[in-house]
Parts: sequence; structure tokens; C-alpha cells
Amino acid sequence: MKKILLLPLALLGLFLATAPLQAAGLTADEIVARANQASYYAGADGKADVTMTIKAADGGTRERQFTILRLNDGPEDQKFYVYFQAPADVRKMAFLVWKNADREDDRWLWLPALNLVKRIAPGDKRTSFVGSDFFYEDVSGRGIDEDTHSLVEETAETYLVRNEPKDPGSVEFAHYLVWIDKTDFLPRKAEYYNNQGNLYRRVEALRVENVNGHPTVMESQASDLKAGTSTINSFSNVSYDIGLNKRIFSERFLRRPPREVSQ
Amino acid sequence: MPREDNPLMKLRLTDLSLRFPRTVLLLAALLTLLFAWQFPKVKFDNDPENMLSANEPVRVFHHEVKEKYALYDFVVVGIVNETDAEGIFTPATLTRIDQLTHELLSLRLAENGLPEVRDFSRGGQNPGGYRSIDLNPESSWQQALNVAFNHQPNRLFDEQGQSVIIGRELIAPSVVDNIKQADLGSLKLEYLMERAPTTLEEARIIRDDAMNNPLYAGTLVSEDEKAICLYIPIIKKTYSHNVANLVRNLTQDWPEEDEVYITGLPVAEDTFGIEMLVQMATSAPLAGLAIFILLLLFFRNLSLIIAPMVVAIVSVICTMGLLIGLGYDVHIMSSMIAIFLMPIAVADSVHILSEFYDTYPRFQDKRETIRYVIGHLFRPMLYTSLTTMAGFASLATTPIPPVQVFGLHVAFGVGLAWVLSMTLVPAYIMLLVPQKKLQKLTPREKKEIPAGGPLNRILENLGSFSTRRWRPIILLASALVAIAIFGISRIQVNDNPVKWFSPKHEIRVADRVLNSHFGGTYTAYLTLAETQPGICDCEANSNAMSIEVEQRFAEKYPAAVATFREKLAELKKRYGQISGPDVSRAFVELVELAEHLDSKTTALWGELADEINYLNPVGLNSRTLHERIAPLEEIPQEYKRILHEYVEPQSELEGEELLEAALEITDLYTADSFVDFVYEMQAELTAPLFKKPKILAYLAQLQAHLAGNPVVGKTSSAVDSLKKAAYELNYLEPPGGLSQSEQAAYQERNQSYNAIPETAAAVAQVFVQLEGMKKKDSLFHLITRNYQEANVWVQLTSGDNQDMAAVVKDMQVYMQENPPPTPMKIEWAGLTYLNVVWQDKMVKGMMTSLGSSFVVVLVMMMLLFRSVLFGLLAMLPLSFTITLSYGIIGLVGKEYDMPVAVLSALTLGLSVDFAIHFLERAREIQLKTGNWLETAKQMFKEPAMAISRNAIIIAIGFTPLLLAPLVPYQTVGFFLATIMGVSWLATLFILPALLTPLQKIAFRKPEDEA
Repeated sequence: MKKILLLPLALLGLFLATAPLQAAGLTADEIVARANQASYYAGADGKADVTMTIKAADGGTRERQFTILRLNDGPEDQKFYVYFQAPADVRKMAFLVWKNADREDDRWLWLPALNLVKRIAPGDKRTSFVGSDFFYEDVSGRGIDEDTHSLVEETAETYLVRNEPKDPGSVEFAHYLVWIDKTDFLPRKAEYYNNQGNLYRRVEALRVENVNGHPTVMESQASDLKAGTSTINSFSNVSYDIGLNKRIFSERFLRRPPREVSQ
Repeated sequence: MPREDNPLMKLRLTDLSLRFPRTVLLLAALLTLLFAWQFPKVKFDNDPENMLSANEPVRVFHHEVKEKYALYDFVVVGIVNETDAEGIFTPATLTRIDQLTHELLSLRLAENGLPEVRDFSRGGQNPGGYRSIDLNPESSWQQALNVAFNHQPNRLFDEQGQSVIIGRELIAPSVVDNIKQADLGSLKLEYLMERAPTTLEEARIIRDDAMNNPLYAGTLVSEDEKAICLYIPIIKKTYSHNVANLVRNLTQDWPEEDEVYITGLPVAEDTFGIEMLVQMATSAPLAGLAIFILLLLFFRNLSLIIAPMVVAIVSVICTMGLLIGLGYDVHIMSSMIAIFLMPIAVADSVHILSEFYDTYPRFQDKRETIRYVIGHLFRPMLYTSLTTMAGFASLATTPIPPVQVFGLHVAFGVGLAWVLSMTLVPAYIMLLVPQKKLQKLTPREKKEIPAGGPLNRILENLGSFSTRRWRPIILLASALVAIAIFGISRIQVNDNPVKWFSPKHEIRVADRVLNSHFGGTYTAYLTLAETQPGICDCEANSNAMSIEVEQRFAEKYPAAVATFREKLAELKKRYGQISGPDVSRAFVELVELAEHLDSKTTALWGELADEINYLNPVGLNSRTLHERIAPLEEIPQEYKRILHEYVEPQSELEGEELLEAALEITDLYTADSFVDFVYEMQAELTAPLFKKPKILAYLAQLQAHLAGNPVVGKTSSAVDSLKKAAYELNYLEPPGGLSQSEQAAYQERNQSYNAIPETAAAVAQVFVQLEGMKKKDSLFHLITRNYQEANVWVQLTSGDNQDMAAVVKDMQVYMQENPPPTPMKIEWAGLTYLNVVWQDKMVKGMMTSLGSSFVVVLVMMMLLFRSVLFGLLAMLPLSFTITLSYGIIGLVGKEYDMPVAVLSALTLGLSVDFAIHFLERAREIQLKTGNWLETAKQMFKEPAMAISRNAIIIAIGFTPLLLAPLVPYQTVGFFLATIMGVSWLATLFILPALLTPLQKIAFRKPEDEA
């Protein structure tokens, strides 16, 4: 699991009601699968306004506001639309991501001031999302088959799952631990360790609320413990199942933002 | 025994020592033990940066800059391949570099306390796992030195056991960002060498990518394609020697063609610190040994000559013990204490020995001989010691803390050496020099003295020469001074810590090789910031908007423009004098107004466009389009008609193409959005300094100017990243099958984007892409996160202070002649610049210190001799010596650097000694003879012997320093010989030559008294 919580568009769907009862005796893989669902697949689609505050080591902050639209497209595939509202100089800038289960993701970029749509070739997803401490992978989720999972500890409230990469060369961590809430299956914290055995990165859910029946991370934080930087994402106007048109997630709507974000 | 006060006072210390020799020896031993006890507490400080006090503004600023831009000290590792036709870009070499990078990144502390790195060796014991590394030297001598100096070669981890290499900031092909074109016109963001190449083609792609990136060509890869540089950032400079050793260890099995060079100021400085300690442990004892052998040659009495050696050793131990005990770090300067103290300490006791040796035959009694000798020498020795102390203590007036500590401690050591000469030497002779041995020597020597040894004979001849040929001597001396002054005028004040190593030292070699391939291994940072940040020129903004809105909208929407300008005028009145948050409030109000203005026209067009945009293109034609649009009540019929009229003539269009066509016409109207206009204006007018295109253009212009300086190999700024990213974002791959001219047109089009984007918003949007590169925050080494300040990484091929200073000066002039569009202040930081500052302070500090100690010594001399003339005469040899030695430095083109500067204090201290001895003895003898020529004759016997022996012992004794691999030690060795030679000449030629014509004035007083 390890799917981090950036996107509060977590869906619990059917599992939600029965989750606490069935939890006992779940394997690590099952826990991770459910956490992944809870974190990234809530509802058929979703929308949220995000205020991203990037904090530098010296305490200085930069703020960005954007709106995210997400549409589940099949059991695993998803589409994301990220539209920047502020600051003024990046207003109308937009990203489009097609998350594909069976191949690399597709990504596009719209830079209004350059009147330019550019496709971004697939690459390392563990790189900074628009200069923040979150990774692209935190936004869209890490494939649950990319790591081996083991249940380290189970308390009354939490599963603690340890994850080790199947291909250590492809990632910067040696392993990471995730604390998953037993009632809603939303990960509350993930901690990443390097090959020297040191904790160097943390992603946390600071505030979780129920939105339209979906437990939703309303505030999350990613910290780069070595560089001393951190980023907080605050979510507002979260809604699920708003009936997003699939056509929104196309190049045409990069140049002309959909109503869902432009108001 | 004469009971006059004077001799009693003079001899009190010595008499005590003669009476209680055992106690004196015991006390000396205890004292030595006490101070030696402090040694284990020693802490070393190899950092020349500490030449500046920690709160020195430039140093504080340097650290602010490092912090602000997350800059670190680098160990520069260059890999050069001169043999392969492909240069450095072969799969084999790149693979090695890739592995080295990952080894460095994987460095960790194993449980056995040794470092370990990931094992890449195919045949290694543990491929894919970790292998242990031990950097301890194999030679047991080196190991012992490391123990003595508390230097742990395997110390590559901080207190928490973390690697001292800052992995995330490592600059190497495998971990630096690359932005390049990929399939289907897409843009790829990855590392320059995502994986090691396996074929020559792959290697060439890496080469081309690197060469096409202005941030890498000349820094990471050499433009001649023969070399690659890794910049290894470390948490503290003092780890650089160990990190350099680690790299040497990791690359030891590389083939010869892939030469590895390690340099950079941090390595140079740290390595110098470590080698200087080694020198402290080898050069100083070697010099001691040489002095010992010379003493033995002169005096042929082992037991006798142990005395000066003991004085020297005890003074050095006590002085170093004091320094350590007081909690000072042993710095580059203080490591030289032993070297400076030894000649001075030896000098005092050589005078005693020399006299003792020559007069013993007369007394045939140790006690009486000592009393006689000390009685003679007390005053000159006291004064020589006091003047030397004054010379060194004056260093305390320099603004350089390590030099202050050095000066005061040497002064202490000189004082101690005097006390020891007065006490320990007599006590030692009484107790440990067997009478028998002296007697055995005496008859032989006694015969020799009248006959005169070769030295005696030479000296006597010289004596008569000096007095008879005083005119030519003075003439010649004056001529020499004139030449020397010319030489001094040509002195180049310059320093470069890398040049502290001898030319064949591996660091010097690396420095030469790498600076010939790259933009330079010396780093300076040029920072730019607004002079008055945060001040909003609201009036100008308002006016700019007023003009712009008129131009864009007046024709079509005169009423709206009028309303808008009214609002602007009102806002200007309300907010005009204020700044900060009010600016955004003003813009909020403008957006509200703009929304209102748009609502009647543009917003409706927007809605129509949205409707079209959301239409399913499947089966859409112009008929169905109108059917879908017609029912929309909120859209004015007029708009629908305009749309209809535009689409109708293109009735063949269907589906997506039809949608595009329909949107073309709506776009025409939605472009007239006041809301967009306000946001656009906000982005342009409130843009931080370094998002403004014209400021960035100025920065680029500055860089271009800097690059014209021959010492500047390369400059990098955020503008370079910006242009590169803008180019790659806008790049269009020419389709296949184009003619040459068509391809050229493509090329030209693409190249036109290799530029600063035209608006602040465009700049901002490109910068956002750079913020999100694979290597996070690397952009912020060159620009602050708020884009208000910028940093230019300036690489110099020379670390000479002169060159750096010239660049600084040049920039100043340039900015005066080409002022920036907005007032900006520029400031420099970086180690190369720091060295300029402390050297400047040092040169000025040394001048004042030399000047003030000169005056102090002159006054002391006048008081001592109770004569202005003798005071002036006493200053003569040292003035002559200083003038001549610095004249030589100027003439041979040796640069005035840190060691040379400090040596002026030693010159002053040492060369005044001979003059004091000479003049004091001359007066004394003159009292007896009453005839100057007779006095001069006598002077060239014992007194001249003592002076000559001293000169020879010190000059030759320190020649081992010339073999040291560190230039400052060589300089000291050379200088000591020069000082001794010149002041010997000055004392034995110029003084008698001057005294001959001046004898009437000089000796009038004593004659009158007589």
C-alpha cells in the first residue's frame, strides 16, 4: 500500500460499511489494497480545491492554489485534471494526467502564457509535484504491486505495514512504513527510510473528515527531513460523484478550462 | 666578587641558577611536563576561513548566501581521458563514473565502524550488497601521525552516523536533471545519465545532451569532451581531505587512461591543514636536527650543545602547551610556532655558548666563565628578547585572530627562552657538562684561537675591510636599498591556498589539469538583490494599466474603459502611498469590476464557448451545432448569429474540426476579457524582480560581461536554466523529408525560443517547470524561492586573490557604467572571494603591525642605548634586511602572501638582535680601548664570531624546510636564510662602515665620561 493521501478524493465505496468487521485477519496485501481504494478511488469522480503551502528550510513559504478533478476510468485507470488558480502568474496553467494500470502514465501540460500544450514523457514518478515535497506518485498513487508488504503490527486502531520495493534501484527509499487506520483504511502516516536506515521523509494526514460518506483527507503534509522542507495541502470544496464529463480530460480542455474549475 | 648593583641585578637570576642547579633543572622539567600535559587536549583547525573572525561581515554574508541558496563546499573530482578518441564519453568510462556516483551516494557507516559502499564489482564478494572500505594508511609512520594529530581517515560521518556527503545535492551526470525532447514531441525530464550507457550511441546521446545544456557544458563536462567533473557537496569543509581519500580509494582500480584529479579550495585547504601538521612533526624536528649538527660542528662538545637544544625544545613545548591549555585551536599559523621559535630560542643560547666556549680557556672555571659571559650578554640578550617579543606581540594588532594568537604566543615563547637561557643553560652547564671534557677541549682550542680558525681569520679581515672601505660599503648599501625599493614597488600582493602546495603536489597538478579543461574549479558567488525590496510603485503601476487598457479596449468598449480608468484613479488615490497587502486588495477590487464589465459581453461569449466545448463531436455538423445552441436562452441571439455566419461557409466541417472552427470565433470575443486583463497586469506589474524579463535580460548581460574576463571560465544563473527550459518546451521537431532551407527555418524558429520569455507570467510558468524537476530545488541554488534575489555561480580558472579582486573591480565599474533597470545591489561570496577579503585585511594589518612594532623597537633601542644615534643605528640592519628581503621578493616575482606577510615580524625580531649585540659590545670595548679602530678589530673576534655562528646555524639549520612539499614552509626556510645573511652583512659591514665616520659623535659621550 503506501498510497499516500494527497488526493482526498478517497473513496471507500462499498467496503466502508463492513470494513471494521472484516478487518480482523486481513493479510498485508489485502490491507494495502483497501487502503489504496480508500485513498485514491473514492466515488466515481471527485473535485477539490487545494491550497498548497510549500515551506522552505528557512521558514519562507510559497503558496499555490489549484483545483483537482479526478475521474475513475475502469477498475484501475484514472484521469486527473489539475488547474492552477493562483498566484496570478500561473493562473490557468493546467496539468492533465492519465493514470494507466497497464502502461506508463500519460501527462500533458498547458502553459497559457506561452500558449503551449506540451506532452510530458513518462518518467520517474517519485519526483516533486510542482516543486512541492509531494511526489507525483503521492498525487496519483503508487502501484500496489511495486512493493512487497508485511504487517508489522496491529493495534486496536491501526495497522502498521512495512513495504519494500521489488526493484530497489528504481526508488530512493530502502523501505517505508505506513500506519493505516482500521476503521476507514485511510493511511495516516507514511515514513520513508534510506539505505543507511535513516528516516528521511514523512507524509501525514493531518485532518480527516467525512465528505459525502467518504472519509477524506482534508489536510496532508509531506516533509523532506533532510532538506528541512515541507508542504501542506489543504483541501476545500471537496465533492464526489459530480458526474464529470470524460471529455474534460483532453487536450482541448487544457486550452479552454472546464466550467468545473474555472468558476 | 664585584658588589656593584648593576652586575648583581644582571646576575641575580644566573647566580641563583648556579647555586641551585638541581632545583632549576627540576623546575624546568616540571614546567615542561605541566605544559606537555595539555597536549592531548589539542584541537586542530585547518580552515583558512578562520583567518577572519566569525562575526566578520563578509564571512557572515558568505554563510547567509550559502544558507539562502543551499550551497555547500564541494570536493571537485575530475575524470579525464586524453587517450580515447571518444574522450570521456565511452560506455566503459561513463559506467565507472556512474558507479562511483552511486558508491558515493550509498556511503554508510557499517557496524564495525568502517565506511561501506554499495558493491558494483562483478567479481566482488558481495555484488549488489555493500563492501567495506578502510582508508587508514598502510604505513605505520602515517598511522602514528594520524594518532598524534587525532586525524581519523575513516571519519566520513557526522555525530549521528550520517554520511558527510550531501547526496541530494551531488552534482554528477547520473544525478543532474536533463530536459530533452522525447517521442511524439513530448518532453522528457530525467537525469542526464539515467543509466550507464552500454553502447557508443548511448554514450554520444549523453554527450550531446550535456553539451546542449548551458548549465553543464564547461562545468559538469568539459567542452573538449575529454573530462567530466563531479562536485561532491559535504556538510563541512573539514571533511574534504577524507572525502578526497575516499574517492582515491574508490577509483584506485581504474585504468590509467581514466585519470582522476581531485581539487577545489576546500580540499586544498583541508589537505594543507593536514599536511601542515605532518610538516610540524617532520620539518621542525629536522630543522632541530640540522641545528644540532651545526652546533656540534662549531663547538665539538656534545654535552655543551645540548643546552641550546633543550632551551629550544622546552620553549616550544611550553608555548604550544600554553596555546592548547588556553583552549586555542592549532591553526595554520600556530602550527608554525615551533619553526619560528626555534631559531630565536637557539640564538640566545648560542650567544652564551659561543662566548662561553671562547672565554672558558681564560677562566678555566665553569662558574666564573658563566658569570663573565652572562655579565656581558645580559643586557643585549634582554633587549634582543624584548625587541623580538615586541615584534611578535605587535601581531596582536592585526585584525586576524589566528595571527594575533600566533604573535602573542611566540612573544611568550621568546620571553621564556630568555629566562631559560639565563637559568637553565647555566644550571645545565654546572650540573651536566663535565669539567674534564671542557679541559680536554681547551688546550686544543686554546692553541687555535690565537692562530684563528678559518672563520676567525675571515672575520678579522672583514673587520679591517669594513672600517677602511667604509665609503664604498655605504655607497653599495645605498645602491642596494635603492634597487630593493624598486623591487618592493613591484611586489604583487597575491595569495591562493592551492599555491601553498609545491608545483608537483597532486592538488596543484589537479588544479592545473582541471582548470585547463573546465570553466574553473574556483567558485565565487555574485548575488543580486533589490536595493529597496517590497516597495511598490503604485502610481507607475496604475499609469501603466491605464495606458494598456486604453490601447487594448478603447476602440471596442469605450464606456467600459472609461469606468475602468475611473476605478484606477480612485484606487491610486486610496492606495497610492501604501504598499504591500494593499496592492493585492486593489487588484481584488479591479477583478470585481472587471467581472462586472465582462458580464455583459465577454462572459456570455465564454458561456457560449463552454457550451460548444462540451458538445460531443460525434455526429456533429453545422446543422446539429445550431440545434444545440439555439435553445440557450442566456446567450444573445446576436452572438448565435455571428457564430452561425462564421461556421456556415465551412459547412463541410464535421465533428472535432467543426468544434475547432466554432471555437475560433468565440475565442476572438473571449479574448477581450477584462478579468484576464487584470490578472495579466497583476502578474506583470507585481512580478518579483527576477521574474521580470528586463531584469533577467540585465542579468544575462552581466553574465556576458563577466564571461569576457579571461579568468572567468564560466557563469551560471537561473537565466541559463530558464532559456534552456523555454527552448525545450517550445521545441518543434522538424518533420521528415524537409528541404535544407525548410529545416533551417525550423532550426531558426526553435532557436528563437532559446531566450527569456517575453512576459513575467511566461517566465513564471517556465520557472514552475524547473521547480518540479527530478532533482528538487536545484533551481533555488541560483534564485531565491520568492524570486527577489539571484545568485550567479562564477567559476574562475584561477584562485589567485589578484584575479578575483580584478573581477570584483571590473564588475563594479561595469555596473556603474551600465546601471540596472531597477536599483540593485551586488555582493560577492564564496571561498575565493573570502580569501581576497582576509588577505586584504592581512596585508593592511601587517603593514600597521610592522610599522607600530618598528616604532616600539626604535624607542626601546634609544632607551637601551640612551642615545638617539645608537637607537637609529640599531634599526639600520633590520631596516636594511626588511627592505632587501622584500625587495628580493618583488624582484624575483614571488608574491606577497600570508607566510611572507607574517615573516616581516620574524625579520624584525631576528635582525635587530645582531645589531644590539654588535653595538652593545662595541660600546663596551670602546670604553676599554678608547680607539674605534682597535675596538673594531676586537669586535671582529669573539662578538663577530657569536653573530656569525648564529647566522650560519639558523640560515643553514632551516634549509630542510626547503624540501617541504608546502610552499609556506619553503618560504620560511628561504626567508630565514635571507634574513640571516642580509642582517649578518648589514651588521658586520654597514654598522662598522657607518661607525667609522660617525665615531666622534657615536663615542663622544663615553669618552667624555672617561
